[in-house]
Amino acid sequence: MKNSKTRLILLPLLFSALALGACSQNDKKGDQNEGAVTSDQGGTQSGTIGSGGASDTNSSSTRGDYLPNQNANNDPNNTNDLTLAGLNDPNNLLSKRTIFFDYNKAGIRPEYMILINAHAKLAAKYPQLKMRLEGHADERGSREYNVALSEQRSQSVKRIMGIQGARSAQIKTIGYGEEVPIVAGHNKDSWQQNRRVEIKYDNY
Amino acid sequence: MKNSLLVLFSTVFMFLVTSVQAELELHISKTTDDGIPIYIANISAGIPGGHNGIIEADLKRSGRFTIINRSKIPNIASYGETLNTGAYQDIADYIVRGKDNGNGGLFIELVSTSDNAKTNYTITANENPRRPAHKAADLIYEKITRRKGAFDTRLAYVTVTNSTTKNRTFRLYISDSDGHNPHSILTSRRPIMSPAWSPDGSELAYVSFERNTSAIYVQNIFTGAKRLISAREGINGAPAWSPDGSYLAMSLSIDGNPEIYTINAKSGALKRITKSSAIDTEPAWNGIGSIIFTSNRGGKPQLYRTSANGGGVQRLTFDGKYNSAADIANKKIAFVTGNRGAFHIAIRSVSGSGKDMLSNGRLDESPTLAPNGAMVAYTTLRNGQNTLAVVSDNGKARQFLTSPAGDVREPAWSPYLHK
Repeated sequence: MKNSKTRLILLPLLFSALALGACSQNDKKGDQNEGAVTSDQGGTQSGTIGSGGASDTNSSSTRGDYLPNQNANNDPNNTNDLTLAGLNDPNNLLSKRTIFFDYNKAGIRPEYMILINAHAKLAAKYPQLKMRLEGHADERGSREYNVALSEQRSQSVKRIMGIQGARSAQIKTIGYGEEVPIVAGHNKDSWQQNRRVEIKYDNY
Repeated sequence: MKNSLLVLFSTVFMFLVTSVQAELELHISKTTDDGIPIYIANISAGIPGGHNGIIEADLKRSGRFTIINRSKIPNIASYGETLNTGAYQDIADYIVRGKDNGNGGLFIELVSTSDNAKTNYTITANENPRRPAHKAADLIYEKITRRKGAFDTRLAYVTVTNSTTKNRTFRLYISDSDGHNPHSILTSRRPIMSPAWSPDGSELAYVSFERNTSAIYVQNIFTGAKRLISAREGINGAPAWSPDGSYLAMSLSIDGNPEIYTINAKSGALKRITKSSAIDTEPAWNGIGSIIFTSNRGGKPQLYRTSANGGGVQRLTFDGKYNSAADIANKKIAFVTGNRGAFHIAIRSVSGSGKDMLSNGRLDESPTLAPNGAMVAYTTLRNGQNTLAVVSDNGKARQFLTSPAGDVREPAWSPYLHK
């Protein structure tokens, strides 16, 4: 129940960020301000991705799921928006570098597939590009277990990026456990923000 | 008040330490008034609070003694003078008198008021002027309870300031077991975690991210000399010394996911102990032949036991959805147990079942047992900050050690000191 709630909280923001328009799950969730992902996510409410990916996914999925499917990625040539400059362009999806997780889970929420795929394709397009996937946990539970959990989160992201063509040598994973929170609070919203993988590029 | 716990919230004693290091503040949460009644006479000394103050505080936090207020026996005969113990039989079971020997050492006399039996101790000076009093408390404790005292020991712990900013600073500290004499042995802008004492009390193993990836080091606490033990690909975490100091157990993910390994402390030879597709971490030695660790191989984190050579894995905890972070001393095991979203510290015997709850915070973690198994230090949340807590194994005495500067956490209780 906790998981579905936090998932719903995050969905609206991601949907709007992806400019995907209305969606049934979006309508279910009235309180968009309850979202845990707030100011330091940049406040960007629009972004684009290689059009093939976004629009095909939208039309092929009525449930709002973004699990990889053939339609979503069937146009490997359409990577016009996947540029290094996009990494620091707030209007580009690539400027989003954080993936959030459910409590005590390392699995990727479906809504993050597009974001991860975008970065994976960028890495595939620029083989010299190197990144670190820095995994983090919230403060609950024991510290070394959280190191392990957070490393598994970063490896989950790496695995998907590998499927999308990023090379293993381009990606380093690390688990910081609960040692480096981005917010200090001891409540659900803070915990959600701290359960994350940050994508960090060398030099970008 | 009878048979109840005396709650003394907000009784704060500032530690007067000459060092400029971050000092901890002691907050006594509760003491027991149904413990063994003991009277500690003034013991002259040039240290704040006096040697008697140190002995009293030690015995109090064991949860086994009730300190008799000094006003109950005014004008007690000084050390060396005749003591009419029969007159005090209804007030205290034991009376402690003493004096310093002029060189920082102590003469201590313990008298049983029921039979007038006297025990005398001579305690030599130490460069740490508080240690003779801790040694006296250990001797008194052992004589009366027939269990070894563990007051003359140390704590290692980690502090963090500015934890959510770029200026975040991690420090590894060592202090006396009561939080006095803190001094930092390592400072880093990157996380420091999981301090673990060598069995001779001279070295600390810990995890540091100073290379921007996790690594395990061993540092001599006296010389500061530091050596790298493991900086393998992936996780290098949760170091734990074998009781004979020959091996360090740790969690490494070099083979793909976190598993328990042992490394020979001299040769560096690595041996994999667990094999599962799940998380295996937080090893704790149960004697030299077996290791207790945390694994989520059953779906949720639980404690398991394995032979220290690998194999023979048995699940130890079945109660609750989260049991982890075992620490073992004197055949007792302290661990984190999660229940309905809260995390508490529990204790049980290694061979037994069930558990006794020792804490009631919301996010308690990192339990560490005193070497006699009679007290547990852990991390708790107090006023929004990570704080150390020390609780007696009977749950009757608890105190907090807080830092005005920031978070204090991950205590590691030293073994008995040998010098």
